Amino acid sequence: MIRVQEIGKAYRSGRRQVEALDEVSCTVQQGETLAVVGKSGSGKTTLLNCIGGLERPDSGRIACLGENIHELSRRALSMFQREHLGFVFQFGNLLSYLTVHENIEFPLALNRVPRRERDLRVSALLERIGLGNSARALPGELSGGEVQRISFARAIAHRPQILLADEPTASLDSQTAHDLVQLMLDVVRDQAASLIVTTHDPVVIELTDSIMHLRDGKVVEESRTTVL
Amino acid sequence: MNSGIIGFWLRIASLFLLRSRRTTVVLSLMVLLSVSILIFLSSLAVGINDAMVRNSVSLYSGHVAGFNLAADLTPERLRIDGVDAVVKRIENRGLLQHDDRFEPVTLIASNPADEIANTALWRKISAGKYPQNGKAEILLSEYLSERLGLGIGEQLQFRRDPVSSPVTFRITGVYRTGIDKLDRGLAFCPPAILPDDNARWSAAIFLRDGIEVENIVRRYRERFSTAAQFKSWHELMPDLRQLIDLNYVSMSIVTFIVFGLVAVGVSSAFVIFILKNLREYGIVKSMGVTPFEIGLLIALEVGLMNVIACIGGVALGIIASQVMSSIGIDLTAFTSHNRYFAVSGVVIPRLTPYSLWVPPAVALGFGLVASIWPTMLVVRGRTADILRGI
Repeated sequence: MIRVQEIGKAYRSGRRQVEALDEVSCTVQQGETLAVVGKSGSGKTTLLNCIGGLERPDSGRIACLGENIHELSRRALSMFQREHLGFVFQFGNLLSYLTVHENIEFPLALNRVPRRERDLRVSALLERIGLGNSARALPGELSGGEVQRISFARAIAHRPQILLADEPTASLDSQTAHDLVQLMLDVVRDQAASLIVTTHDPVVIELTDSIMHLRDGKVVEESRTTVL
Repeated sequence: MNSGIIGFWLRIASLFLLRSRRTTVVLSLMVLLSVSILIFLSSLAVGINDAMVRNSVSLYSGHVAGFNLAADLTPERLRIDGVDAVVKRIENRGLLQHDDRFEPVTLIASNPADEIANTALWRKISAGKYPQNGKAEILLSEYLSERLGLGIGEQLQFRRDPVSSPVTFRITGVYRTGIDKLDRGLAFCPPAILPDDNARWSAAIFLRDGIEVENIVRRYRERFSTAAQFKSWHELMPDLRQLIDLNYVSMSIVTFIVFGLVAVGVSSAFVIFILKNLREYGIVKSMGVTPFEIGLLIALEVGLMNVIACIGGVALGIIASQVMSSIGIDLTAFTSHNRYFAVSGVVIPRLTPYSLWVPPAVALGFGLVASIWPTMLVVRGRTADILRGI
């Protein structure tokens, strides 16, 4: 479960203080999905980064699977991230010097999954995302949609209990976007994981359990329906 | 941390270097060339010092000079381990006379074959030739020949003192070394021409390459009577010793400056190399790679590239030094008036353990030191900030 309690985060932009998040709270149970929507600059990515431990909120509290992640040491946070978190970035963020197979294998190796099992899992994932023939390709040789699918496969390879996706369909056509989101939701339900996804995409919004609307760092609307 | 995990990070580091081909090749070439140039320069500097010593000791004195040696002590007994050759000399102090002209001289009686085989004085003969064994012939300096007003083929007398009976010699050659000590008061003749040739003798002792001269002197002093005296070229030629020490100091300063410049270059290149790939480190950090593992990954990347480049650099440095030492570098045009290059201006570069390990150690050390700051930047920086910098 993810429990976010009144977190605040401000950035300094020149002489101006920008409130990226202002007393934002939300809760996502295991097996549930939450779409965070809002205009560019509304604080969606900052919220996701705070939940994933990529940055620290100025105030408030974030508990993931019962751990207050911002009270963890650097090493403990890293160990938590590698075991329990999966991140899908907006532009894939694949490691450019590793092949598709090696990118997906990376979190498995970090979690000391035996080599044979790693190979089996990677092959199965590649089949599942329809890129079984691209195992030896480098990220630079792939299209945007393929990169995004591999980024997703890498995020779920180690079967994390929390999946965070930052505008995963932003660079995809509607069909690919729909397939990828459907795949994400299937995995989340199969693994009883929690998914928080930031998006502008109505396809994504329709398929999640609940929606949170951010504006200027504040929650302006929350809903458990598929319509805002 | 077990070997499997190190193996994993080593594999990741290798893949990173392998697939960042252009950057890796350019940076490796820079390290490789720096290391090989430093090794070659270092061997050249050692070669210049060697040439000065070789020129100075081969002309006359040998690496070790023995004095006041008993008649029953044979040259064979002085040929201990590390000694290449021993030239026996009997010093006869007296006067050279021609008509009413007298010149004080130390007439050295020694076997011409031994002198020609082991010393280079014969190469400094400006006219005539070396005396022959068994004949009353003499080789003297241009200075003495001018002072006595004599030339090749003319005769002179040697006497130990004004009242003793003279021995007549025919001049077969004159020499000029450019070294006052040798050019003013010395002359050479074959043994057994002068009476009392079985008196105490002196020796020019030549060592094999790489033998420590002080060790040989110490062993002689331990082995032979206190009457016998042994002096290394360090004691015989303090000016040369000082010059070599001065060379080492100036070489060290130059080396330090060159190493410093190379080190700054290598460090800067590695900082740029790591910062250029900051994004990749941000990505692995977001996946839960610990600060220690990030440090390990960067150190392995820098270390691996340096080790491979240094192996190439050492190999290239050795090849360059060996090739040049087999040919020799002729600096005669710059040394012809220098008394420390009296015999030959050819420099033979020589590799020493110091010249082989210091350049790669400097490159590796500075590469790793250079990686500390960017590593701290990755470890201490917020992952979101690192990724935002994409």
